Amino acid sequence: MVYIVSWDEFVDRSVQLFKADPESTRYVFKYRHCDGKLVLKVTDNKECLKFKTDQAQEARKMEKLNNIFFTLMARGPDVDLSEVNGKEQMETQPVKKGRGRKQ
Amino acid sequence: MVLLQLDPFLNELTSMFEKSKEKGSVWVTLKRSSLKSKLQKRKLSAAGESIEYRCLIRATDAKKTISTSVGAKDHLRFQASYATILKAHMTALKKRERKDRKKPTEAEKKESTSTSTKPKKL
Repeated sequence: MVYIVSWDEFVDRSVQLFKADPESTRYVFKYRHCDGKLVLKVTDNKECLKFKTDQAQEARKMEKLNNIFFTLMARGPDVDLSEVNGKEQMETQPVKKGRGRKQ
Repeated sequence: MVLLQLDPFLNELTSMFEKSKEKGSVWVTLKRSSLKSKLQKRKLSAAGESIEYRCLIRATDAKKTISTSVGAKDHLRFQASYATILKAHMTALKKRERKDRKKPTEAEKKESTSTSTKPKKL
């Protein structure tokens, strides 16, 4: 199993993996409270990337990664890399209401 | 495999985390899926229609499995609730203490100052 040491490398490679094959790439995470361990895995059934940690700050980074994956998977792999910001922009986009009848 | 709506899924996920506090793990899997068979996909792409993709989320505590699928519209709301649940439950992880880093450096400094003589002030 390929355990990656650097968080940023794990993120970059897993996003690349997803963009290359969105149909078969999946993101798994396992949390054990009794051991206080968190393990992340991204695989496309050919290649597998893993990351393990017991640090709370990595858990916060993992939440950001969750957001990235959610956006990628729900919207499509062609989403901009500024997905986290892009998602906020989507929220603030004003709904154009039709002004109705021209009077 | 139990397929649930978003909110019941979140509730079940919370109870799973709570049950596994003493021992056991919680696994969560995220995968993109259109929830359609290959045949339907071909038909859709032949007709020129876009295939609607959803994010499939599965959670298990080794005893039972629950799942839900999130579309592009719901994913923002789900993401926020999901993040809250995770933050609330992943409390067993260690917080990195900066003191640990400073201690060896301080010890090194002490060793270096003790060996070297103090400079005289002129």
